[in-house]
Amino acid sequence: MTHSNKDTAPTAWAKTLKTLAMGLLASTAIASGAQAQEVNFWYHFDNADNPMSALVEKFEAENPGITVNAENVPWNSYYDQLYTSIVAGTGPDAALVKLNAQPRLIEMEALEPLDAWINGWGGKAEVQDNLFTLTAAADGSHYYLPVQYVVLYLYYRTDMFQELGLTPPTTCDEFRDAAKALTRDTDGDGHTDVYGFGFRGGKGGHDHWASLTLARDGVGFGKGELTSEAGVAGTQFVLDLFQKDKVFPPSAPNDGFKEIIGAFQGGQTAMTIHHIGSSAGMVEALGDKVSAVPVPECGGGHWTSFGDESTAVFSAAQDKEAAWKWISFLSSPINNAEFNKATGQLPVTKTDSANWDGHAARFVDATVASLPFAELLPNTSETADFANTVWPVAMQRALIGEISATEMNAEIDALYNK
Amino acid sequence: MSVTTVPPVPLSRRVLPLVMLSPAVLVTLAIVFLPMVQALWMSLHDYVLFRPKNFDWVGLKNFVTVWNDPVFWTSLRHTVIWIAITVPAQMLLGLATALLLNQNFPWRGLARALVIIPWALPSVVIALMWVWIYDSNFGVLNDLMLRFNLISSAIPWLADPDTALYAIILTLTWQGFPFFAVMILAGLQSIPRSYYEAASIDGASQARQFWHITLPGLSGVLMTATLLRVIWVANSIDVIYVMTGGGPGYSTYTLPLYALVKARTGLDYGYGSALAVSFTLLLLGFVVLYLRRAGRNIA
Repeated sequence: MTHSNKDTAPTAWAKTLKTLAMGLLASTAIASGAQAQEVNFWYHFDNADNPMSALVEKFEAENPGITVNAENVPWNSYYDQLYTSIVAGTGPDAALVKLNAQPRLIEMEALEPLDAWINGWGGKAEVQDNLFTLTAAADGSHYYLPVQYVVLYLYYRTDMFQELGLTPPTTCDEFRDAAKALTRDTDGDGHTDVYGFGFRGGKGGHDHWASLTLARDGVGFGKGELTSEAGVAGTQFVLDLFQKDKVFPPSAPNDGFKEIIGAFQGGQTAMTIHHIGSSAGMVEALGDKVSAVPVPECGGGHWTSFGDESTAVFSAAQDKEAAWKWISFLSSPINNAEFNKATGQLPVTKTDSANWDGHAARFVDATVASLPFAELLPNTSETADFANTVWPVAMQRALIGEISATEMNAEIDALYNK
Repeated sequence: MSVTTVPPVPLSRRVLPLVMLSPAVLVTLAIVFLPMVQALWMSLHDYVLFRPKNFDWVGLKNFVTVWNDPVFWTSLRHTVIWIAITVPAQMLLGLATALLLNQNFPWRGLARALVIIPWALPSVVIALMWVWIYDSNFGVLNDLMLRFNLISSAIPWLADPDTALYAIILTLTWQGFPFFAVMILAGLQSIPRSYYEAASIDGASQARQFWHITLPGLSGVLMTATLLRVIWVANSIDVIYVMTGGGPGYSTYTLPLYALVKARTGLDYGYGSALAVSFTLLLLGFVVLYLRRAGRNIA
């Protein structure tokens, strides 16, 4: 027995060492294999129970050897982190990106052209016709692959409108009258408790201002257009709604997404502007007391924001082919529907659009009715500054009376027309 | 005459402390000193992050722009108000709390533990909590003031340029006073009781005892704690960033926040660094003056 023990001990050690060595070798091989076929993907979802892990699992099963590390980056600092990480060389291989970031990313030479892949891709014909045109860069190349879209429209409280015998506004004048009527003290304590319109004065609120300003004849971001009489009248209209008519909640200058949505769902506002992405939450809070129509026509024109979201492969990606496979997977039928069910936006593929039941019909109708006049902000590098810093500060200062409508529009005009 | 000679310290003993300290020094150099030098270097260049290949030497141009930038002066004014109100308010509240906690009363241990809570909470949590307290629709502050007829309509504390900065100052005062309370409490316990007994025998009133024994006994602690808080409060941007992001307009911009917005959101690292360097120099000047004056007073 003793002899046998002595004899077997080294054998057992040898076996253990051999197993360890083989394990190490195998794990090194796996690690190096994964290194070569790894896709680091950044996205931003508000929805806590997002299906990204299910989509990743499905993709990895269909594409053995490719590992996707999908990271949900908080929206508020999404672009700050993206730009800095790209420069630091620690950026993702692919990411969810908006069109207003495209000129800046191109200037940074951070994007990989997708034209060759898109042209050879079987799913190209599945993507809705105008989306490739909308998402093309200024030079006509494609760096973005559409993955979802929305169009901004006007939410309104059907019960409040019915109570006051109002119809949803179709023009700015009707909008103003309705907002004034809806701003009231409903519980008789002498304090206003419902405001006509929830205006987003903080970051991201340029869509509200734009619908009420850029719709006007001859108003856009070209030289002198915003500083024209019509341009100033548009901004002044917004300021009057707050300062004279007092139809925005007093917190409007600082209000962001969660404030305008919270106030509307809580009954503190009767109208606001957002998109179909928030419709599920609206219905959950308000049931059939909420509906939507296109934003009002103002000063002879109609303008609403086309809210896009695409995916892109970065030029510094470690495996561009694998990154392309992953983003094209997200824009393919069924996967695209799953993706959009989580984000609450609309799918870009024809098959998924035809079978779409992710939203109540009235919100889809309002979106479709808004599409003909939906526009994008200028496809230039200045748009990132406009959306992130210039507009929020100028709008807030104008709302609190520090600068006039003319001065605010002049600041934006100066940004775009240096 | 015999001369006592001190045996020479062996080389290994002389080198050992340096060797032991070197990791900490190296880490500090790498994560504090190097970025400082980098910021100084960037401030002398035109460096916009979305044009990373352009890194043009511009000398002091960014500093001249800072001097002529009205937002810099607005931010500087706010920074001075921010420090000048927050730190003394925290100190007074901390002093009062420490004096109370130094008394004998039941559950004193629990009270001492509870008072530290605002200091222990993460700044972001505090900021979000106070945003809801100040909310003009749902906020408890407006609700209470309306119920007691102190105001006739809800005040948008954070959206009104006249109140926004002070509302955040109140938040930071609440967050920071436990630091003073704990430091001062420790200081109070180090003052010998015999001083108070002697003063009582001499007929000194409570107020005189406080003025002539307590305050001088605390001067060292107060000086150190105030200096630390001035530096921390001056650099504190997390609470402002979460509560208002600097808004409405520039109403709650302080210099570090302005530098952050310029660099991180505007991606203008050259100008952002110039703002940061300018602020560092101003703060350094203040600290040197403070140390000289406070040191002389204590002496």
